Order: sequence, then structure tokens, then C-alpha cells
Amino acid sequence: MTPGAQTSFLPHTDTKPVGAADFYFAINATFRFVLNKLGPDGLRQYWTDLGARYFAPVTARWKSGGLTAVAEYWRAFFAAEPGAEVEVHQSPNEVTLDVKVCPAIKHLRANGREIVPCFCEHCHVIGNAMAAPAGLTVRVEGGNGSCRQRFTRC
Amino acid sequence: MLGCYDFCGHYEWTFEWLRQQGGESLVRKYWDEAIHRDSQRHPAALIAAKGIEGMKEYWGHILAEEGAGYHSTATDAVFRMDMHECPSKGFLIRNALRQYHDYCDHCMGWIGPLLKKCGWVVDHEHNHCGQCWWELRRADDVTSPALSTPHDVRLRNDWKGSAPLDTYSRANDPDDKTVS
Repeated sequence: MTPGAQTSFLPHTDTKPVGAADFYFAINATFRFVLNKLGPDGLRQYWTDLGARYFAPVTARWKSGGLTAVAEYWRAFFAAEPGAEVEVHQSPNEVTLDVKVCPAIKHLRANGREIVPCFCEHCHVIGNAMAAPAGLTVRVEGGNGSCRQRFTRC
Repeated sequence: MLGCYDFCGHYEWTFEWLRQQGGESLVRKYWDEAIHRDSQRHPAALIAAKGIEGMKEYWGHILAEEGAGYHSTATDAVFRMDMHECPSKGFLIRNALRQYHDYCDHCMGWIGPLLKKCGWVVDHEHNHCGQCWWELRRADDVTSPALSTPHDVRLRNDWKGSAPLDTYSRANDPDDKTVS
């Protein structure tokens, strides 16, 4: 995958081609803070609200563009994440993200950061909150640095 | 997955989500506990150990990585930054993202307590349009902010725009400001 976002498929765009990896520190710290202050249900609610509200523009594109829009989004998304090694495959019935190297887990580990134990759950919860209004669902297998995410119609 | 490319978007969104859960006090705790003490423990260690050299090292790295338009200068006693194009506020403005009422407060929210722990105070102004200036000096240094630089952001024609100007004087608290 060539680094640098195909920004036309992303709802929010920047002037730089890829993000700053140190922001993964803040994402991990945010999960820990919400978990400590509001508990596991609070953290799941945070992820659900992020998926349903912040990512609503992505859902709208998935709703109108179907699985092709899902594949376009994730290709552009991972091209803008530093250190990501991800293959996005589209078939008539599903889009599969083969996450060989999760950029967040990689950067957190490389810098000796304590990773929130439930870190990987956010992909499943946010992904489903984004997908459900578009008539889609996501299943995640694996985690802890590599996983496979399958987006299918409900 | 939550990514770092649009981090400033979901970061700003999170401020408002937290405010709705626990009020402004939860937002302040978030900036201090999650950002200052957890996420940003590396600048805290750098500045505690090296002072101004640590500031140069940290902000030189992160602002280059974020693509900021800024200028910094320093003496033996003062570190100054003039931010002409804040990468995070610029991202929010360009993408019309605004959930929380004052995104710019987050910088003072984590940098202020970090510097207080290290024995530094902050003189700072931001105009809510992606421009700000900072002077950082030791708490026992009673001199006023006066570091002369041709890159002073206040020399810009658009420094005083339609948005209010938030001013901090020898501060460490995001709410210790005057608004004009």
C-alpha cells in the first residue's frame, strides 16, 4: 500500500499525507482514562457514540456506495496511518481487511507504552456502530497486532 | 479503527463527549491525567531533565511531524514559540469540525500542569484562528514576556480577528485566563 491518503474517500482531510504516530499514545491514554472514570460500559458507549456520531459521514457514504465505498474508505484510511500493513479485498459479498501490522499496536509497543487490555475491542465496537446504519456488520478475528475484519451485509 | 490521520477531529469530539458525561471538570481531568500524565509522558520527562533543551527537542520533533507553521526561539532563560499555522486547529477549521466550545484550551490543559510540575510558568495568547504565542520561563523568573522576534505572531494583520483573544499571564491552569 502506498503511504499517503487518497483523501477523496475520507470525510476529513489534512494537508499532510500521513498522520503523526505519536497520536496513538493519546488514543490509548484516552481509552484508559474513560475506562478508569466511566467503567467498561462507559468505554463501550464512548466507542459506540464515536462510531455513530463522529463517523456519521463515513456511514452515509457506505449507505449510498455499499461495499465498494467500504473498501475505498479503508484503503484510503490505512494509507494515511504510518506503519500500517493492511490488504483490503473486496468480493461481491464482503470486504476483508487483512491487518498484517496494526500501526497503533506497533507504535505503542515500539515505544514501551502499556496498552489498554481491551484496546482491540474498539475496532469491533466502532466498526459496528459505523456499519449498522448502512445495513452492514463487521466481524473481527485475531487482534493484538494483527487481525482480520470482515464487513458483510446484515 | 481509530486513526491518527484525523486524530484532531476525534480528539476535539471527545472533549464535548466528556463534558456531556461529567462536565468541564472531567474535561480538565482528561487533559491533565490522560494527556499530560499518560500520553505526553515523554515531553514531561524531556523537559524535567533538560529544561529548554528538552522543549526544543520535543516541540521541534512533534511540530515538524504535524506539519506546523511555527517559529521558536530561546535564550538561556526563556523558550518562545510563535504558531502561525496550528496544525490541529487548522485541521478543525478546514474540515468545519467544532463540537467543544474552546478547543484551544486543551494545550494549556496539558502543557500548563506539565510545566508547573517542572517549575515553569506560561505567558500565552491564542486567537482561536490557528495562531498563538508562548513564552515559558522558570517560576522564580519574574521578568515579563518580552522576547523580541521578527516572527512574532502578533505582528500579523489577522492576529486580532473576529474571535476573542484568550490571554494567560504566568499561568499553569487552562481556566486562568482573561478573554478580550
